[in-house]
Amino acid sequence: MTKGIVVLAQNNETDDYVEQACLLAMSLQIHNDVRISLITDDKVPEEYISLFDKIIPIPFGDSAEDSEWKVENRWKIYHASPYDETIVMDTDMLVLQNIDTWWNFLSNYEMYFTSKVLNYRGETANTDYYRKTFVENNLPNLFSGFHYFKKCEFAQEFYHWLELVVNNWETFYEQHLDSFSRPKHLSIDVCAAIVAKILDCESFITNKISKFPSFTHMKQHCQGWSSVQSSWQDQMGVYISKDGSLKIGNYLQTGVLHYTEKDFVEKSPALERYRSLVNV
Amino acid sequence: MSKGAFLIARNNGHIDYVKQAVFLAKRIKKYLNIPVTVATDSVDYLKDSFDIQVFDQIISLDYTNESNLRYFFDGALTKKTASFKNNNRASVYDLSPYDETLLMDTDYVVSNSLLKPVFNSSADFLIYKKSNDIAKVRDECEFDRISDTSVDFYWATVVYFRKTDTNRTFFNLVSHIEQEWNHYRRVYQITSSLFRNDFAFSIAIHIMNGFQSGNFAQQLPGSMMYTTDKDVLYKMTEDEMMFLIEKKDYLGEYTALKTKGQTIHVMNKQSLNRIIDEEFAND
Repeated sequence: MTKGIVVLAQNNETDDYVEQACLLAMSLQIHNDVRISLITDDKVPEEYISLFDKIIPIPFGDSAEDSEWKVENRWKIYHASPYDETIVMDTDMLVLQNIDTWWNFLSNYEMYFTSKVLNYRGETANTDYYRKTFVENNLPNLFSGFHYFKKCEFAQEFYHWLELVVNNWETFYEQHLDSFSRPKHLSIDVCAAIVAKILDCESFITNKISKFPSFTHMKQHCQGWSSVQSSWQDQMGVYISKDGSLKIGNYLQTGVLHYTEKDFVEKSPALERYRSLVNV
Repeated sequence: MSKGAFLIARNNGHIDYVKQAVFLAKRIKKYLNIPVTVATDSVDYLKDSFDIQVFDQIISLDYTNESNLRYFFDGALTKKTASFKNNNRASVYDLSPYDETLLMDTDYVVSNSLLKPVFNSSADFLIYKKSNDIAKVRDECEFDRISDTSVDFYWATVVYFRKTDTNRTFFNLVSHIEQEWNHYRRVYQITSSLFRNDFAFSIAIHIMNGFQSGNFAQQLPGSMMYTTDKDVLYKMTEDEMMFLIEKKDYLGEYTALKTKGQTIHVMNKQSLNRIIDEEFAND
C-alpha cells in the first residue's frame, strides 16, 4: 500500500500557490519520511522539483480557468493521486511534527475529514463566525483542507458526487441551503458537506471526539481574541528557530498549521529557514 | 514530610499586611490545622504588637523600598496610591521550612477546610486557574488570559508545592522573569509595567509546559472566589462575611451580599483591615 500527501496548486494573477506548496513540502521533509505529490499546470521552480515525488498535470483539463479561487478542480484529486492512501492538504499549510501516528489512525477509515480545528493556543477553535452556512443548515462541519482517502469504492463514490455538486453548485446550494445563509461562491467545504449529507455518511468520515488529526486554523475570528484586526500577522509575531520550530506569539506550534494569509510566505522567515534546513 | 502554610507580610505605610498575616494564621490553624510560617520585614513590629504564638516560625526579610506603585481602592470611590511590595515571592521555595508548602496571600480569608486535602495530592504543584468574582456583574475575562493574545492566567494568591527539582526550576524561573520584567511583559503583550506575581507565575507555568498547554500546574480544589477592591468587606463573624458589592453602571452604589463557609480573596485590603481591627479589639 503506497501512501502520500497530495496538494493541488494553481497560481492566479496575485498569488503563488506553487510556492506555498513548495514550502509545505519543505516543512514535511523536516519531520517526516513521506512522499508528496503536486498537482499543477504551473511551472515549479527548478530548485524545488526534487521536493516532490511526482508533479502531475491537472487531469481532464482546467475547469477553473476563469475562477479566482480555483476550487473547481478539487474533485479531480482522487483521480490524480498516485497513492493507495492519500492525505489531501491545502497549499497554505505547514507540517510541524511527525504525523506517522495520524496515518495509523486514518487507516481505520476509508475517508476522513477533520471536523474540529484548533486555534494557535491548541484549543478547539470556535469557527461559527466563518461557518454560518454550516450552522444554519445543519451541515457536517467538514474541513476539506486536511482530509484523507483510500482508493476504494466508497471514496470513489464520494468524489463522483463531489464532481457533480461542484459542477452544479448553484443548483445544489438551492436544494440544500437556506437562502439567507447560501454562499454566493463555490466553496469546496460546503460542497463536501452537501455530499456527506446526501450519502448520509458523516459518522463514517469524521470523528467528533478525536482531537487529531486536525489543523491549526489561523483565521482571525477563530483565535478567541476580543479585539480582532484584519490580519492575524498584525496581531501576533511569527518566530522560527534554526531547527524549524515555529512559534506564533507565545505558543509553540505543532501538528499542521493552516496559515491562511497569502502574504505569510513573504512576511515570515519560513521560506528562508526551511530552505536552509532541507538544502534547496 | 513536613507540611505548613507560608505567608509573606511586608507593610507599605498604608496597608498593614503583618496584621493580616496574624489574622489569617489564626484562621489557617482553625480551618486547616497546619503550622504557619510568616516572612516579614517588620519582625519587631510583629513581636511587639501581636500574639506570635500563632506562628510556627518567623523569618526576617530585609527591608526594601520598591517603586512598584499602584492604586489601592477602598470601594468604588476611594483610592490611594501606595507601593506594591510583591517582589521576591519566588524566594518562598528556599525560605519555606516545609517539604510541602501552602503559600497564601494575606488577604485570602480562609473560612473552610477545602484546601486540607492538597497535602495528599499526587501533584507536586497546585494553583488556581478557575476563578469566580462573587459580584457576578463584572466582566471576568481579564482573569482568563494575562492579555488578549497571550497565555492563560493563573492566580499566585494560593499555591501548593512540594520541594522537588522541577519546582525549584519553576521558582528560579519566576525569579528570572521578575528580574527581567520589562522584557517579559513585552514578549507576553502586557501593556502595564506594574509587576504582578499572577503574571510572572502564569508566564513561568507556560514556559514549564514547553510554550504550550500542559499539565505542569494542576488545579487547587474548587475555584478561586474573589471580590475586587471596588467592593467593601462590611462585616464578619466566624465563617460569615457581609460584602457591599459595587453595582454595575451605578458608581458608588452597592448591593449587600453575604457568604457563609466560603474562602474568599478579599482584594479591598483596607476594608479587610478594618474588620480585623474590630475582631482583634473583641479578642
